[in-house]
Amino acid sequence: MAELVTNLAQLFAAMLATIGAGMMFYKYQLQTYLLLTGFFGAFMLGTLHWTLHYYLFSYTPQIFYVSELAWIASHIFLLTLTYTLADSDEKRFRHPALWFAPVFCLSQLMLYLSHADVLLNTLISILVLAIMWVSLRGFLYARRQTGKPRDRQYFHLALLAIIVLEHGLWTSSCFWMGDTFKNPYFWFDSLLTVALLLLLPATRKAVAS
Amino acid sequence: MTYIENIFVCIAGPLLLAILFMGRKYYGVFFFSMAGMGACLLSAYINTFFAKLYGADFIGATTQIAPVVEEVMKFLPLLFYLLVFEPKSKEIGIAVLVVATSFATFENICYLVDRGAAQLSYILIRGFGTGAMHIVCGIIASYGIVFVWQYNWLKIAGTFGLLAAAINYHAIYNLLIAHGGQAQYIAYALPIVTMSFGFIMTRVYESGKRIEL
Repeated sequence: MAELVTNLAQLFAAMLATIGAGMMFYKYQLQTYLLLTGFFGAFMLGTLHWTLHYYLFSYTPQIFYVSELAWIASHIFLLTLTYTLADSDEKRFRHPALWFAPVFCLSQLMLYLSHADVLLNTLISILVLAIMWVSLRGFLYARRQTGKPRDRQYFHLALLAIIVLEHGLWTSSCFWMGDTFKNPYFWFDSLLTVALLLLLPATRKAVAS
Repeated sequence: MTYIENIFVCIAGPLLLAILFMGRKYYGVFFFSMAGMGACLLSAYINTFFAKLYGADFIGATTQIAPVVEEVMKFLPLLFYLLVFEPKSKEIGIAVLVVATSFATFENICYLVDRGAAQLSYILIRGFGTGAMHIVCGIIASYGIVFVWQYNWLKIAGTFGLLAAAINYHAIYNLLIAHGGQAQYIAYALPIVTMSFGFIMTRVYESGKRIEL
């Protein structure tokens, strides 16, 4: 029950965000909004397949990678978005705190490899590590700015929140505590839904800056 | 048991002979129709291999393995065409549609050989349901590729995103069919509804502003 409720909420949120980002792209014709629409759209498709499978057969897909491919595609859109938003000074910016990204992601990857599929987890962890590196760099860089450029920190903060929550989700799935709301997996899933919704206004702020 | 490689030879033979008299202009269409049917043939083998490897039952194989394998196999000839020949936008769309149509046609022929053609309702469902679904996946890929390959920054994300979209659309269709009951009627209508929606959205978009990224 908890799985279905949280998945439906996430599907609805992703659908709203896709429509919202698509309308922004239609209005402003900016590559940022196109990439954001791609991210939300791919994420929504993966969630739709996952939720529909659970609704129709009462278990989640276990054999092959259908939803996972859509989620990987959504992360590629996100990585492209973070990379294209950064200016040349930001791309050159370095800070020791950036090394937190590989330490965090690779240590988590070790846990996932001991519990689940090697290929998929390695692929998505590398992608997430790259996004975390770029968004952490963007966040630290934006914090050093004054005026409008400083507003970009909200976009990077939303991205970092999504990545941390995704890791929380995957980690809690390694220690499954059943289909109830007492399972931390569903807390992370619900928070991820909120973070996804916050990404749209945060991107608007980043574009305006 | 259906000997699909024999069916492939039987269909490819007349086409191969015909192309000798049709001239260079039609080589492309012939190549892509062969590629589509060949992709369908190879997909059958690869689906069986993965189904055995993962110990999948019928529902698992049709809802999770087949969509990924079939869409990737349909995509490979296109990727080869894009990377080697660097075609114009208009040529890409036609190539994808020819691959998708020949894939769907060959799959339908194999199903009809296996299950017979006595029931008109079943044939209509295969033609306008499953066949149309393959065309929709082809349209998603062709319209999308024409757009995303115009921009270097969108090529990787866009191509992978389109492939994932086609796979998920195909998987959702198979999921509804495999469940049966009222869900399968939704599946039968899905490709036609999607085509109509896509047609309306294209008209709306074309009436709007031109994209300048």
